[in-house]
Amino acid sequence: MNSTAQVATSIAQSEISPSALRRHGIWDALLRNATRTAAITVLLLLGGVILSLIHGSIPAFKAFGFSFLTTETWNPVTEKFGALAPIYGTLVTSFIAMLIGIPVSLGVAIFITELCPLWLRRPISTAIELLAGIPSIIYGIWGLFVLSPFLQAHVQPLIIATFSGVPVLSSLFAGPPYGIGIFTAGIILSIMVLPYITSVTRDVFETVPAVLKESAYGLGCTTWEVVSKVVLPYTRAGVIGGIMLGLGRALGETMAVTFVIGNAHKIAASILAPGTTISANIANEFTEAEGELYTSSLVAQGLILFGITFIVLAAARLMLLRLEMRSGSKV
Amino acid sequence: MNDNSPASGSLTTQKPHLGVREHEGAKQPLSEKVSVKDVCFFYGESKALKNITLPIYERKVTALIGPSGCGKSTLLRIFNRMYDLYPKQRAEGEILFDGGNVLDPKQDLNLLRARIGMVFQKPTPFPMSIYDNIAFGIRLYERLPKSEMDDRVESALKRAALWDEVKSKLGTSGLGLSGGQQQRLCIARTIAVRPEVVLLDEPTSALDPIATAKVEELIYQLKNDYTIVIVTHNMQQAARVADYTAFMYLGELVEFGETRQVFTKPTKSRTEDYITGRFG
Amino acid sequence: MNAAIYNRRRAVNSVIMLLAWFAAASGIFVLALILGTLLYKGVGGVSWAVFSQNTPPPGSAGGLLNAIYGSVMMTLIGTALGTPIGILAGTYMAEYGRGSKLSMVVRFINDILLSAPSIVIGLFVYEMLVVTMGHFSAWAGGVALGLLVLPVVVRTTEDMLLLVPDSMREASSALGSPRWVVIMQVAYRAARAGMLTGVLLAIARITGETAPLLFTALNNQFMSTNMNAPMANLPVVIFQFALSPYADWQKLAWTGALLITVTVLILNVGARALSTRTSKS
Repeated sequence: MNSTAQVATSIAQSEISPSALRRHGIWDALLRNATRTAAITVLLLLGGVILSLIHGSIPAFKAFGFSFLTTETWNPVTEKFGALAPIYGTLVTSFIAMLIGIPVSLGVAIFITELCPLWLRRPISTAIELLAGIPSIIYGIWGLFVLSPFLQAHVQPLIIATFSGVPVLSSLFAGPPYGIGIFTAGIILSIMVLPYITSVTRDVFETVPAVLKESAYGLGCTTWEVVSKVVLPYTRAGVIGGIMLGLGRALGETMAVTFVIGNAHKIAASILAPGTTISANIANEFTEAEGELYTSSLVAQGLILFGITFIVLAAARLMLLRLEMRSGSKV
Repeated sequence: MNDNSPASGSLTTQKPHLGVREHEGAKQPLSEKVSVKDVCFFYGESKALKNITLPIYERKVTALIGPSGCGKSTLLRIFNRMYDLYPKQRAEGEILFDGGNVLDPKQDLNLLRARIGMVFQKPTPFPMSIYDNIAFGIRLYERLPKSEMDDRVESALKRAALWDEVKSKLGTSGLGLSGGQQQRLCIARTIAVRPEVVLLDEPTSALDPIATAKVEELIYQLKNDYTIVIVTHNMQQAARVADYTAFMYLGELVEFGETRQVFTKPTKSRTEDYITGRFG
Repeated sequence: MNAAIYNRRRAVNSVIMLLAWFAAASGIFVLALILGTLLYKGVGGVSWAVFSQNTPPPGSAGGLLNAIYGSVMMTLIGTALGTPIGILAGTYMAEYGRGSKLSMVVRFINDILLSAPSIVIGLFVYEMLVVTMGHFSAWAGGVALGLLVLPVVVRTTEDMLLLVPDSMREASSALGSPRWVVIMQVAYRAARAGMLTGVLLAIARITGETAPLLFTALNNQFMSTNMNAPMANLPVVIFQFALSPYADWQKLAWTGALLITVTVLILNVGARALSTRTSKS
């Protein structure tokens, strides 16, 4: 198998050239420093985002103090600004989105993991995830031209008529049907959070050991009982994490909401009325804002939004991390 | 033996012993290629190796055996300072290699590893073509014209008894080979760099018996030119391929000697217990 | 066995499973509805003029050339800024600085950056670039998009490099490779497809991004190649035209929306195909 010549060449030790060593040393130092610098850059950039937001909001907080958060007034002419209406709008639209989005997302996840024929699993998962890829401006334009008119013509009159005699609900769903407004924004957001919650939920559902489910089925449980008594308790942290992730998206979403919210700086009792959210308010008014105080009031809202989403997402991450550690220790 | 001229002298004294399975370690003058002197090893606070002293003879196969967790792989990974890739692992003592100390902090690790090659438990072909897998190590320190590189790749593959199986598909991915072929590819890749010592970390534990036999045959061939240290959990394998055997237990070197002697007349009762299958 | 209890359990199960079917069907239905509307309203407007003429004043014919040009340019700038920094930072976290304090802090910060509302990124770039330069510009728009690309690339680069088994790195080191060779010739090669997927997803993310461009690149009625001046871009043009009362403008908005969606979906499907192909091999 070996000719003598080959044996001879293979035992001669390779010639290691000093220039190659030097070259390697230079490249190594270069790459190490470049990657480190890049990592520090990422750090500085986010630090910059936070600092610039704080810096930009100082005038507003100086002028209005804590009442900035509790005042509804938004008057550029008299330069009286309060962020209560956008904060309210942000929270209520996200709440509606969650109210609709969570059960539907869980339903889709249950369908994909428990009911769906195997060959249909991938196409449906893919389709749902493509929903996440559609830019938010598309949801906005679709919401404005397709969803709002539909809700205005068919759904909202029905809701108003149904609850007109009921106390509390009659004012929550008071007319007239504008089409656009808090309610519509909430529905658009519920469509937008669907893929986020679904994909996380589906992923954690799939981490449930088959033996667990099989032993429950073995006791004669129905599919729903297996899901509610075995799968959901087992994956609770992950599901909540996924919901928080969706909530983070809903809170920060700008364009889709801006199209359909109606941009009214007031808090109405009816959720069918137009309103505004923090991000919609900034998107609409920032370029036209005159004067330091006006601009600063908008930046301050950005800071508040950042704070809210940060808390929600940190909580989500904590939940998912706990799940990861648990499943990590079990494997 | 390490000069750049083809070492024709060594060829006359060391003919390939195809198929001849005899341990003849003691019949030739021995020289210590690597000397392990009083080496301790730590994973963080815990001491994994305790005062190991061991000679590694030139152009011989030395096997490290012992139950899992005994530190045999740990010891192997000290020879080329593999542990340096990970924080909190450190070694004390001395490993003399050609007059220098491997454990010297000033030791150039890349250079050291080019001279002391290593083959791992699981085959680790790089995600590139078969040709590039072999040429990878050569290109690190040498600039060769295409024809010379082709020769080097071919001779390495021939040495690893893989050439005939892959010569028609050198451009295809190394990941497409079978497990046994992948492992021989890794051996070819290691010897293409022309190291002086080759470390084998349980090289056949992931292979089927036929592929194992091929790799063992290869090891037998390679000791004509290389100093080989092999870690194995398979005692028959140690008996088949090794000239010298070191038995380790709980981080200590229990016994070292010629393979035949260790397997037939062990001096320590613990060695005997292990070899006869009473534990481990 | 109590038959009544059993029947009730079965009924509950049937109702909920029906609802799950319904949820999945409505999810697919909404996707189909959105894409269908886009095609129905957008395809009619696709013509050569869309790609050859600039955005028109109200009431006259025109196209989206300047907006397409601006979007492409700013996407290019954003990708060119975000990708290299992101890959390098991700490399540091997975390779040189694995387990280090700096890596942990950067990972935490990057996760925040990843999910920060994009409009907040726009505010930051406005404060940093628009205010200091004194005017809106395509550069500012590109930087804002780059800030959105960056965290996606950092995250996927780190994740993909961590998926490369350490045995591969050891094997490479054992041949005498210095660290940079281990990283650039072995780890990158093994993680290549995944890293590319990340970059594609990042580009898909910024292609339709509107909010941060509103007050960085602003908009421009005319064709402008001056990166130092406001520049038209598809998302902002769609925003402006869709909310206008003019039928021509609304029609162009739908056409633009179709173009963006098709681009984004192609990028998404491409990324998906790339990642499934690698997970199979």
